[in-house]
Order: sequence, then C-alpha cells, then structure tokens
Amino acid sequence: MRIVHYVNQFFAGIGGEDAAGTGPELRDGALGPGRRLAAVLGDEHEIVATAVCGDDYAASHPEFAAELVASARDRGAELVVAGPAFTSGRYGMACARIAVAASEAGLPALAAMHPENPGLGEAAGTAVVESGATSRQMRDSLDRLAAATRKVAAGEQLTAEDGRIGPVARTNRLADRSAAERAVALVLTRLGGDRDATEIPLPDFDRVTPAAPVADITEAVVALVTEGGFVPAGNPDRLESARASKWVRYSLDGLDSAESGTFESVHGGFSTQWANADPNRILPLDVARELEREGAIGGLHGEFLATTGNGTTVADARRFGMEWAAELRQQNIQAAILTAT
Amino acid sequence: MNAEAGLTRVIHEVRELDLGERTSYSAGRLTVGDESVRDLLRGPALAEVRLACAAPGDSVRIVGALDAIQPCSKGPGGGGVFPGLLGPALPAGRGETHVLRGTAVLAAGYLPRAQEAVIDMSGPAAPLSPLSATHNLVVDFTPADDAAWDDVEAALRRGLVRVAAHLAEAALDAAPDAVEELPEPGSTSSDRPRVGVVLNLQTQGKFKDVFVYGRSLSGGLPTVIAPGELDDGVVVSGQYGHPALKNPTYLQQTHPVVAALRGCDELELAALVLCPEPVDQANKELVSAHAARLCAGLGLDAAIVTKEGGGNADADVSLKLDRLEEEGITAVGILAEMAGRDGTGPPLVVPPTKATALVSTGNYDERMTLPAVEQALGRERIALLDQASTDEVELPVAAIYCAQSTLGWGRLTCAETG
Repeated sequence: MRIVHYVNQFFAGIGGEDAAGTGPELRDGALGPGRRLAAVLGDEHEIVATAVCGDDYAASHPEFAAELVASARDRGAELVVAGPAFTSGRYGMACARIAVAASEAGLPALAAMHPENPGLGEAAGTAVVESGATSRQMRDSLDRLAAATRKVAAGEQLTAEDGRIGPVARTNRLADRSAAERAVALVLTRLGGDRDATEIPLPDFDRVTPAAPVADITEAVVALVTEGGFVPAGNPDRLESARASKWVRYSLDGLDSAESGTFESVHGGFSTQWANADPNRILPLDVARELEREGAIGGLHGEFLATTGNGTTVADARRFGMEWAAELRQQNIQAAILTAT
Repeated sequence: MNAEAGLTRVIHEVRELDLGERTSYSAGRLTVGDESVRDLLRGPALAEVRLACAAPGDSVRIVGALDAIQPCSKGPGGGGVFPGLLGPALPAGRGETHVLRGTAVLAAGYLPRAQEAVIDMSGPAAPLSPLSATHNLVVDFTPADDAAWDDVEAALRRGLVRVAAHLAEAALDAAPDAVEELPEPGSTSSDRPRVGVVLNLQTQGKFKDVFVYGRSLSGGLPTVIAPGELDDGVVVSGQYGHPALKNPTYLQQTHPVVAALRGCDELELAALVLCPEPVDQANKELVSAHAARLCAGLGLDAAIVTKEGGGNADADVSLKLDRLEEEGITAVGILAEMAGRDGTGPPLVVPPTKATALVSTGNYDERMTLPAVEQALGRERIALLDQASTDEVELPVAAIYCAQSTLGWGRLTCAETG
C-alpha cells in the first residue's frame, strides 16, 4: 500500500522549537523515524512521501491537516500514518488532527502517541496506538505502529491488544429507573461493601508542569488573554456566552484602556453589569499600558485572545490552551496574563 | 424527640387543566380563573401577563421556560406555604399541606442571564423533562417600559407563588386522592442506615440565586432543615441559567432523592443539609468541609450530594464527596457529564479524588433533533439558533429544561457505546 507518513519539524530534521512555526509541506520518501517504519513494514508497503509541519503552526492553523491530506491524496496515498508523538502535546494534537482529516477524506489512518498525550483527546473516533513516553522508546513504538499499520492496511479493526488507546464515546440513553432511585441503590451497594460501583469512570487529568519563570520581565513581551467572554462591543464574531466552541482575537493597537462601549463581556456565567461598566476589570489593559510606559514590562502584545469559560468541555478548554500557547510562542511572547472569571 | 413532628400531604390529582371565569377544582379538573390569576400577577414591573395551558402529549413547545411551581396550600389566604415570600418567614414543614399533583405554574419569557430552556410536551424530548409530564399553566409576560430587570424577576417570583397557593386553595374542600404521612427525621427510631441529602443551591447573584425562606444562602454556611420544609416551598428558585441542570422550585418541592429515600424500606432519610455554592475555591472548600462535619455530627452513615449549575458546581459536589468519605460517611454524587458532542471528552470538570460513587444524568453536549410543533409558548423564536420556535430544531441536551437535573427526576444516563 502507498503510505504517507506524518512527522513534526523535529523528526523531519528541520529543527527544534526555533523551527516550530514551519508551515505544512510534503517531502518525497521516508524521513527520520519513517525510514525505520518503512524497513519494518517491508516490501508490501511503501512510504511514498512524508508530510511535515511545525508543531506551533499545526496547533494554531487547524486547516493544515486537511491541506496535507489533500496533498497526500494527490501523491496517491492509500493510507496515512502519523507519529509516534510520545508525550509531546502539540505534536500529538497534530498527529490526531491528521488522522481525523484522513478519515474524513475516506482514507484509512492511524496515529501513535503515549496514553497521557493531551492530543489524544482530539482523536475523536480515529485509531490511535500506544507509543512510549519519549523517543528513547522509538524502536518498540515503531514496531507496534508497524504491526498496527499492517492490520489497518488489511482493513481490520484495531483493538486494545494492538495497543489501541483513546477516548471511548459515551452516549446518552434512558435507564430503567430515575437518577434518584439509582443513587439510593448505589448507597445500598456501597454500604454492602462494593467500593467500586459507579456510573462515571473517573477521568484521568494530565498535570501541567509550569513553565520556567521569565528571566527578565522588563525585557519580555506580555500578552493579555482571558476566558471572560471579552469582545468588542456588539460581539462581531458571535463568541458564545456558554459552551464556547471557539476563541477569538482582536487588536489592542492604539488603545490605552478598555473603555465601556468599546468592549463588553458576553459571558453567561456571571452578571456582566460591572464588567461592562469598566471592561478593564476583565482585561486589565489600562494597568498593563501603565506598566508598559513605566518599563516594568518589555512590551504589551498587540492583540488579545479571548474565549468564554462557562460550561466549556475539558476537551475544548485543552484545545484552546494548546492553540493559545502555540499562537503566543509563534509571536515570540514570553509571558501571558490569563484573567479568569 | 417530638413524635408528632411531621407533615401530612393531602394529594389532589390534576388530570385536566383549562382557563375559565373563576378558579375551581373538581374530580381531577382544575379550572384557572383567567382574570383572578392575572390580578395576582399584576404589579408595577409587569405591563401585561398572558396565560395558556399546555398538557402532556400536546404538540406544544415552551421556549424560555423560567421557574415552575407545584401548587400547594395550608389553608385559606395562602399562609404557611412559600414562607418569606408569600407570608412571614416562619418555620414550615409541619401540619397539613394540600398539593395539586400533576400540574405546575410555569413562567416563560426573557430574563437577563436566563439561558434559553425548551420544554416539548410531546416527541423525543418529552421523556426528558418533568415539566413535559405535567399540565402546565404557562405565564408569559411583557415587562413595564421603565421596569428594572431585578424588579421584573422579583414580581414574577412573587406572582408565581401567589398563583400556586391560589390554585391549591380551590382543592381545600375536595376529597383527596391520597393522604401521605411524612414523619420528620428524628421523630421515629430505627436501626436502618441513616442517609442524608446534601442539597447544593446555586448562589451566583442576580438571576442565578436560590432563596430559602426568601433569602439567599450566599456567603453563609451549610444548614439543616426538615425534608417537609421543601414540600411547603421553603426553597424557591430564582436561578435561570443552565436549562438542563436547573432545579426549579417544582423539583425542590417534589425532591426526587428525598422521595426515593422516603420510599426505601432499607434506609432512613435522616437529614437534609442545604449548602450554598460559593463562587471561589476557598469558600467551596470551607462549605464542603463544614457540610461533612455537620453530616458526621448528625450520625449519618451515607449521604447523597446534588448540585445546580455547570462546570464549577462539579467542584461543590466533588469536594463534599471527598470530605464526607474522610469523615467515614459513604458518599454518592449525582452529576451530569460534559463530554463534548461526540461523548469522548473527560466527563467531569472537577472529579472527586477519594469518593468515586457517581450517578450520571447524561452528557449535556450530545445533540438531539426535536420535530416541528404546532404551537409555541413563551418565545416566538429560539435565539440560540435564530429559528422560529415551532421549527424542527437541533439542540444539545443542555437546552432541555431539567433534563439532567441532579435532583434525580430523570432517567437519562450515559454509557460507553458498545
């Protein structure tokens, strides 16, 4: 089968974080880990091209995936393989998006990453197989990916035995009894000694390691970001007041303060009366500009990023966070102040 | 121990509801005196009110549902029910209360911060809402031109309880369908395990607050009341967000977990603990630890914890479950899942760490299609979708009124797709 393999800028040999803004492109043949993957796969399959994109670019331009999959089709791809991404979050998200885009385009696809990779949440129903945590486990990870690739190429479904990981969909249904009656039954079960009975398996949350402190804040460009539903008056892009599906960005150029009537909060989770009387309460632009003038910070980023944190799913919130981080890194921002409401 | 303490609930079933010249109740038929009820709702903040009836099975969609109330009365004049709102704030929950079962007074329309709530009286969404199963008197309103929204909300809240008491008064002399004796916790002794109900009430300011004897619990500590106080309307909702997760006054009066425990021969309903849902972490922790100590002091063996509201209210349940387990009390939480449209995301925003016994009221992001209906009440358009209210619409479960209320009325749940 003709395979297109996806790797990030690092595994393609383009560069590290300095090259994370590299845009999407297709290169001939196998590259980096793709060479070993091709060797393990043997003669039956051929990696005809390697799709490459920088991690920051991929995180801040979700459309990269559909573009690369379209190019892969032009190159005659019959199967798309992505990774392994190990525990790298942006790379994992990119691999998941590539696999999802390929599936949507009707191509069989799979990705590989560590079960704790936050990108796993983006995989929807697409196949992901487990990899090690770091590239030190490259060899074993590629062996497993190759075996899974053969199975997918043969039109078979991957199972936990193949190392398949990823979210399992939970769907709504009507139970025989009301939630109140089930809660009372669960009390009886628990009092009877069963310590495991539950209807909701506990989610595993990843722990985020804080970034190193900014070395010299007087040299750093600082961004203001918020989940306070903060938008220009009139909400031109219709940011949702609850269950936001997106985030928005607007310019702060030439503005000294967030004036009432110029900005507003559309957040549905609190009374916006005081926020709208003085929008600096949500996005502290007035004070940030003072600090900028005093030289207390190196500079203020020319735009702010905003969403609404109200009934937002963890999966969406995680996606926004990864996209914001990538976006800010690409703009060489060293610090961000996230005002929460 | 006061062996006499308890509530006698005198039940009158409502099987038919219509509008007429004067309010009357006879043999399951409730007629609402159109003009007298509109008089009860009259006030400077409301320019006009309109009444309509919606029955289970009707091709009717109620859009912008606000609060709903079960009619009840303790005697002529309306005293004793909804204390602190309808009459003086004196302890309720004892004596005799007449209840009109199978009916509700329901307001629908626009209020600030009220997320659009939908009730379908028939079709696929009907099994999800307790207010699809009742004969509803729907109150729709036009605010006075110069009225502040706070005053509009207060006028509605007072008006609805007045109407609820007025309607039940019509049944005071009717022969009851049932008489239920509900002893107060502590008035009898048993060796059954003692189970408490921990009821978190949303306290997020205007239009997102719940009133106990007419006042908000905001800023306060947990308190213990008798379950019968709920039947008498001590807890009245002024919370209009989170349609699917809403706990309207109707569900407080008929609290499904309280009802399930009252009906359980193996467990004793031992206490009802009311808690605010603070808006900051430090106070969430304080209230949770304090609630757990109260439960320990009450000698509880187990507790069931419920919430009102979206993501941050998960913390109010999870922290209490953890603190209760630390006190050696078996803790069960009822929670809604927020797992994304496809149901693959993490289901809870703040999960417990020690307690793990959870009941699910379903995934709030999953979407469903509601077929077109003949008539819409409340609002003519669904603003969220910019569609006529009578159209076929696709909505998340989150928009269906009370579909996931953690007070536990519904049968909706979630399971892995197998």
